[in-house]
Amino acid sequence: MATTAHNNLNAKLVLLGDMGAGKSSLVLRFVKGQFLEFQESTIGAAFFSQTVSVNNSTVKFEIWDTAGQERYHSLAPMYYRGAAAAIIVYDITSTDSFARAKKWVQELQKQGNPNLVMALAGNKADMEDKRNVTAEEARAYADENGLFFIETSAKTAINVNDIFYEIARRLPRAQPAQTTAGMVLVDRQGEGSRAATCCA
Amino acid sequence: MHGTQSKRDLAFEYQAQIPILRPSIHARRANITVKFQDIYGFTVEGNVDDVNVLNEVREKVRQQGRVWWALEASKGANWYLETHVSSTLKSSLKFTALVNQITLKRLIRKGIPPNLRPKVWFAMSGAAKKKSTVPESYYNDLTTAVVDKVTPATKQIDHDLPRTFPGHPWLDTPEGHAALRRVLVGYSFRDSDVGYCQGLNYVAALLLLVMKTEEDAFWMLAVLLENVLVSDCYTNNLSGCHVEQRVFKDLLAKKCPRIAAHLEELEFDVSLVCTEWFLCLFSKSLPSETTLRVWDVLFYEGAKVLFHTALAIFKMKEEELLMANHVGDVINIIQRTTHHLFDPDELLTVAFDKIGFMTTTTISKQRKKQEPAVMAELDQRLRRLNPNGDEK
Repeated sequence: MATTAHNNLNAKLVLLGDMGAGKSSLVLRFVKGQFLEFQESTIGAAFFSQTVSVNNSTVKFEIWDTAGQERYHSLAPMYYRGAAAAIIVYDITSTDSFARAKKWVQELQKQGNPNLVMALAGNKADMEDKRNVTAEEARAYADENGLFFIETSAKTAINVNDIFYEIARRLPRAQPAQTTAGMVLVDRQGEGSRAATCCA
Repeated sequence: MHGTQSKRDLAFEYQAQIPILRPSIHARRANITVKFQDIYGFTVEGNVDDVNVLNEVREKVRQQGRVWWALEASKGANWYLETHVSSTLKSSLKFTALVNQITLKRLIRKGIPPNLRPKVWFAMSGAAKKKSTVPESYYNDLTTAVVDKVTPATKQIDHDLPRTFPGHPWLDTPEGHAALRRVLVGYSFRDSDVGYCQGLNYVAALLLLVMKTEEDAFWMLAVLLENVLVSDCYTNNLSGCHVEQRVFKDLLAKKCPRIAAHLEELEFDVSLVCTEWFLCLFSKSLPSETTLRVWDVLFYEGAKVLFHTALAIFKMKEEELLMANHVGDVINIIQRTTHHLFDPDELLTVAFDKIGFMTTTTISKQRKKQEPAVMAELDQRLRRLNPNGDEK
């Protein structure tokens, strides 16, 4: 869940998606501006943080980049618990990865945080000649499910920052504490995860 | 032997090429970061102090080598195999075996010299015994039989080959990829319940670098998964790994109560950082020689060593961790610590002298206790996702 301190927001963000869809590459591009043709496979999850500023305020993302292999999905609740945002990544050259993305959307919908900002990223957009998932199909699915959709390329950097900035803009801002039962708004920076209890 | 020998020798030569750096006060002040290759060919980034530590570690490795050679000279080449105290032995032999056993345990905690590792690991882990129960041609037959087979596991393995320690001078070559592929694909057919689990790529890669032959690396992987580690660590929903995580949390609360209480207050789940340790056996977190020193003890004393090591990492940074007031800070402290643990003794001294005694029996009991809770939790998630039970 996102927490505010004056104009600053701490937001836990989780990346989910099939193995090799490019989750780690998206994060590496966003956090360090780098791209590696062969990114080490992620085991468990990796943690990063990055701050962006939108509309006179800053959002500090605490990013959990998770492992993609099916059997690792049993660990996922630990990473998406208390998240304010999720990016579900698929590879536009793989229909399997798109099917897997839909499953993630379902799982997140069922975990019951109505304020979760969800984005669908069709990654590897630079590989147009190998495309197997059309942008139309993905957009239609995203619209139906209330997700924000964008095609990205971690390799060429296209739309990578945009997706994080758009999420930052969409995050719910300081809500009065009484509207969400049990929610604790902390007035100190650096306590983002504490306020996560409300939707754990 | 698939040509691994020449590459491995090459890896050891790097050691000789690395200049002994003597930092001046100015260099220390500038806090220069240097990139260099360690004895297993991994690129390491560190400051001048780290380089100094590595130089000292190399010297200690050489000294330790002399201790092992002296023991071989006085007790015979395979003395470490004669540590089994059986009741049929004559009492004088029993005494020798017992002495050897005590010497060996202490010696292994101080480290097996890199050039003796293949031989000592293979003998004491049970890999040699495992291999001896099947026909001589088992590994060749297996790899030949599965060479053209395509399964979900082989596809995932192919996907991960270039993503396993990319940039390593041997692993990241066609030859290295081919060797790693044969080991992982071979194992995926040996145990179809495990098939291929991400994480094993790193473990098998490191085994290939250490063992003299690809076949021995395969048997080390087999003994590790089938005898050393808790079962189901790598199978379908990683249930064994979930169990280990719960046992670890209990141990942390018992052995490092202040840290456990503080992290709980921060709502920091230690599994967030420990899962990778237990699945990759620290190979992605610790410097190579430090990882292998943990493995030296792991193969001799069993899976409890992973708990000792993980607890030690937290214990070493107790004061710093208690000051952290945010999840991100905790992770940064832990990651900075693990990546810079170039001195294996610094870690292992805490792991075995400061954590206190733990027996395999008590840990087994704790695992038994946690199993039902893990199964219930995993089942609950599946029910939530598939309320009609229409999918597995």
